[in-house]
Amino acid sequence: MASIQKINRLLASEFMGCVEARQERAHLLLTGACADWREIVRAGYLAAKHNPLAGVVNKIEWTGGEIPKTRIPETRDNSLDGLAPDVMVIGGGVVGCAIARELTRKKLSVLLVDKEADVALHASSRNDGMIHPGLDIKKSSQKYHYNRLGNAMFEKICGELQVPFKRGGQYLCFPKKIPVPALYATKLYWAYMGIPSRVLGKKRLFQEEPGLRRDLGSALFFSTAGSVCPYGLTIAYAENAIQNGARFALQTAVLGMDVTDGTITAVRTNRGTLYPKVIVNAAGVFSGDIAAMADDQFFSIHPRRGTNSICDKKYSDAIARQHASTLFTGHSKGAHTKGGGVIRTVHGNLLLGPDAAESPEKENFATAQASIQTVLAKQVKTSDKLHQGRIITYFTGIRASTYEEDFVVCRGRYTKNIVHAAGIQSPGLTAAPALGVAVAQMAVAALFDITGIAPRENPKFNPVREAIPNTAEMPSDERAALIAKNPNFGVIVCRCEEISKGEIIAALQRPLPCASIDGVKRRVRAGMGRCQGGFCGPQVAKIIADEKGIPLEAVLKSGEGSELLFAPLKTRAEEGGGGDA
Amino acid sequence: MIREMICITCPTGCKLTVDLNGETLKVSGNACKRGEAFALAEMTCPTRSLTTTLRTVFPEAPALPVRTKSEIPKASVMPAMRYLASIVVQERLRCGDVAAVLPDCGVEMIASSDLLIESE
Amino acid sequence: MRENCRTFDVAVVGAGPAGLAAALAAERQGSRVLLIEREARLGGILKQCVHDGFGLVRFGEKLAGPEYAHRFLSRLSGTSIQIAALTFVSAIKKTDLFGLELVSAHGLETVLSKTIVLATGCRERTAQQVAIHGTRPAGVFTAGSAQYYTNILGKLPAKRCVILGSGDIGLIMARRLTLEGAKVLGVYEAKSVPSGLPRNLAQCLHDFDIPLYLSKTVTRCFGDARLTAVEIADVDENMRPIDGTQQILDCDTLVLSVGLIPENELAETLGVALDSATKGAVTDQDGHTSVDGVFACGNCVHVNDLVDYVSESGETAGAAAARYAVGTRKSIPVRTSDNLLYCVPQKISITKNNGEVVLYFRVKRELQNRRLTVRLEERTLLQKNYKQMRPPEMERIAVKLPETIGENETLYLQLEVNG
Repeated sequence: MASIQKINRLLASEFMGCVEARQERAHLLLTGACADWREIVRAGYLAAKHNPLAGVVNKIEWTGGEIPKTRIPETRDNSLDGLAPDVMVIGGGVVGCAIARELTRKKLSVLLVDKEADVALHASSRNDGMIHPGLDIKKSSQKYHYNRLGNAMFEKICGELQVPFKRGGQYLCFPKKIPVPALYATKLYWAYMGIPSRVLGKKRLFQEEPGLRRDLGSALFFSTAGSVCPYGLTIAYAENAIQNGARFALQTAVLGMDVTDGTITAVRTNRGTLYPKVIVNAAGVFSGDIAAMADDQFFSIHPRRGTNSICDKKYSDAIARQHASTLFTGHSKGAHTKGGGVIRTVHGNLLLGPDAAESPEKENFATAQASIQTVLAKQVKTSDKLHQGRIITYFTGIRASTYEEDFVVCRGRYTKNIVHAAGIQSPGLTAAPALGVAVAQMAVAALFDITGIAPRENPKFNPVREAIPNTAEMPSDERAALIAKNPNFGVIVCRCEEISKGEIIAALQRPLPCASIDGVKRRVRAGMGRCQGGFCGPQVAKIIADEKGIPLEAVLKSGEGSELLFAPLKTRAEEGGGGDA
Repeated sequence: MIREMICITCPTGCKLTVDLNGETLKVSGNACKRGEAFALAEMTCPTRSLTTTLRTVFPEAPALPVRTKSEIPKASVMPAMRYLASIVVQERLRCGDVAAVLPDCGVEMIASSDLLIESE
Repeated sequence: MRENCRTFDVAVVGAGPAGLAAALAAERQGSRVLLIEREARLGGILKQCVHDGFGLVRFGEKLAGPEYAHRFLSRLSGTSIQIAALTFVSAIKKTDLFGLELVSAHGLETVLSKTIVLATGCRERTAQQVAIHGTRPAGVFTAGSAQYYTNILGKLPAKRCVILGSGDIGLIMARRLTLEGAKVLGVYEAKSVPSGLPRNLAQCLHDFDIPLYLSKTVTRCFGDARLTAVEIADVDENMRPIDGTQQILDCDTLVLSVGLIPENELAETLGVALDSATKGAVTDQDGHTSVDGVFACGNCVHVNDLVDYVSESGETAGAAAARYAVGTRKSIPVRTSDNLLYCVPQKISITKNNGEVVLYFRVKRELQNRRLTVRLEERTLLQKNYKQMRPPEMERIAVKLPETIGENETLYLQLEVNG
């Protein structure tokens, strides 16, 4: 093919012969070796840009270091051995959980597996929670399609799942030198893209957002932007799926698959071998690896790290509405991020970020001071009230990017019984409700193709998931009634977020087990505040131990091996340890 | 022989210079008389108070704060800890009650909290 | 509504050493007092401070923390003070009286009070607030949480431990964990001088051969489930890590003693002015804040190093709250020379008949042979010589004020080279 020759000519001149492209089945395959990871990523983008085929698989070997092995749980048992669910969803992120929930509308056996000890431990808890209006997305892309559909579903889905959601809008701010009439032209473009916007002159802008920086001159306001708690939504989807009959197997890693004649016949995990009829690949940053196991790889995921910072709630005056970011000349040029912004989370904290950095590591969530400073330096251009002293915590997330910078949402190309919901990165959270519906339909279609049976509706499907009461946000009479019924709801354990013992106990009794400090934190926010669990941490540990009937030293912070404490006191002194006085 | 030490008698923490010349001891840097006594003890038989907790049989109050009623030889601190590892408080002691007696020096460990009464 | 509310003269928020003293002092003046505590047991942080050294100033004895608290707690039973334990103040609203919204297992209750005494203490700075990066495994504790696990819950949080910060709590935890059989690899301090009291360096570190490393900090954590190591780096004079000096130290626990922050979230909702140096409320000599009828005492005003002074400030604020009568206050500012970090109180309220005031202050850095002059404009009220002054050690002086003070005068604390 002529254009593959062209790609090879480009690659040869750019990468001095160490990279090569060729057609493999229906996709483009890159091979070679390179010591610089960024160059490998650049080669992937270059190939994707000129690719006459659909999909780039980048198998250029990185010689600059060793990519850490995927972390696999140590647990080995046969608890899932022999299971043959109709659909097996791999990946407990927001997309996987949404798919599982939508699948339970049908009479199907659904099993979701995730290698971590809880759902939403990767990208679904490590993002800014923004519901995007859909800026900076090509109209022809899957991202555009699912973002638009997903965005419109949030009121309904968050209503059904009882997850807090606020549609506060987004400001795209412009410096003074941009003339306001220019914004009207931009507004027309967004109208063509199906995104309503409103032009705000300086006076109006500062009336609405007095905390913004004074040298800003105007803004476009997108009213369809919103904010949701991303792990809250994931957990809610998971709980609703379980309520409706899905089974969730955590700490379950897919280790390999048997594929015969374009059909996956067995899936091997650390908990036994399973024989699902259809597999859904919602494995996030690992979705390329799952596709490879399924012999259906026609895309590659290259991890992209980003760090967000969260400010103390009491310093939320910089932004009153939802989200603000500032567009400057040259802004986000060449960088594959929308540049983040200042976001008011659904819980009322300001969140700054994220930055973007290519990395070969898929699960290195370590943070670095430099990222925090980069993001802060950028966001002070939106509001100069922001500074390091207001930040109470920060976290790193890893985006599952493809070289096409688009979602991969489709039936398998070479393998019949797999459906991909892969390469889901921003605006994946916004798209998740729509992806859930669409991928569930694809899985049902695949099941029909394989078995010839169309599943019936699940008559017991209940779309409503009851949330854990949030006593601090309740009207007084409701709160009083709840305390009268269960006094634990009046015992405040987390003082920063005003979370009661009752809420913590309720978090431990949910359909999806979460007996860890972090699990409780994600469900009811105990420890999310300015003291970061300094005061409530030990008390939450005690509540977990008491409720679960386990010794304190068995209480985990997060997953396996994360015990907080060692032995009871004195037992080590008995062993004769310690220094000499 | 000249030794420098920090007097730990009170939070002031005077920096003492101790000059031991045969039998005579000269202390300087102390703000009060207690510094001299401290220096003498440090040079001959240093003593410390020991504060720790004891295991109890009460699940709501698993650790009872205790302290030595008087100071014990510094060298006895770790042995005392090893001995106290074997003690499990069975009674609801009050603040000031004797919780244990250290075998080698006979010094009492007294409860320094009413915890077991309060949590009853 | 009002008729159904319990009404008090003084509502004390927090029953640690400051709040206990404030409640007792207010009640002694004949006030109806409510003492509110969010934990089940009174005594605040003293409950977990099983080490001794408390009460030397006040009682002339070396008491353990719970014992010191016990001295106050045992006095409560004979009083009319009403105690609301395991009760959380969710909001305070000011009308003509203060309305405190309480949450407890008994339900929601609004109580009214003429005055509020805030004795909310302080919280610990966290790993994120001192820019420790890397992973977030189990085994990273603030010193206070490690102390809670050890002394209240009776469990050992560490086997091989690194302590960051040489503040007193860090030093005391180094000894405590060593006594219980953990290996403390060292105490690391980013500053070039230790933060804790010299006696704690001696009896907590030196006695147990625990090394102290100055001008070094922890920059990174390793390990996914449990902490496996920390990265330690030298720091420059601005306490910024120096590239190339990093070393990796294997350990399972990192204990942070990196500073305390006064808790003033309630105060802020009431509009109380805060001092950027102390991070606590601006008060006068009675602990009276910028908001009429709101008093503050103890560690929420400024972080003290001795509990004895916390109790003292509680007594002052409690008694003043009890005496409080609505009226206009006139006050003069307290200013310090640049070598002082702060002085509490920041204002002196003046009356027709001024008496003695107690001033607490700290120096910014270590100084030798200084003379402090306290003067009212040009009138010298007091002079005191100091041989050695260190930032960790708070100084306290009592100053007799002249009977009459002009409204436009200023009280100066000036620290100069002696001689």
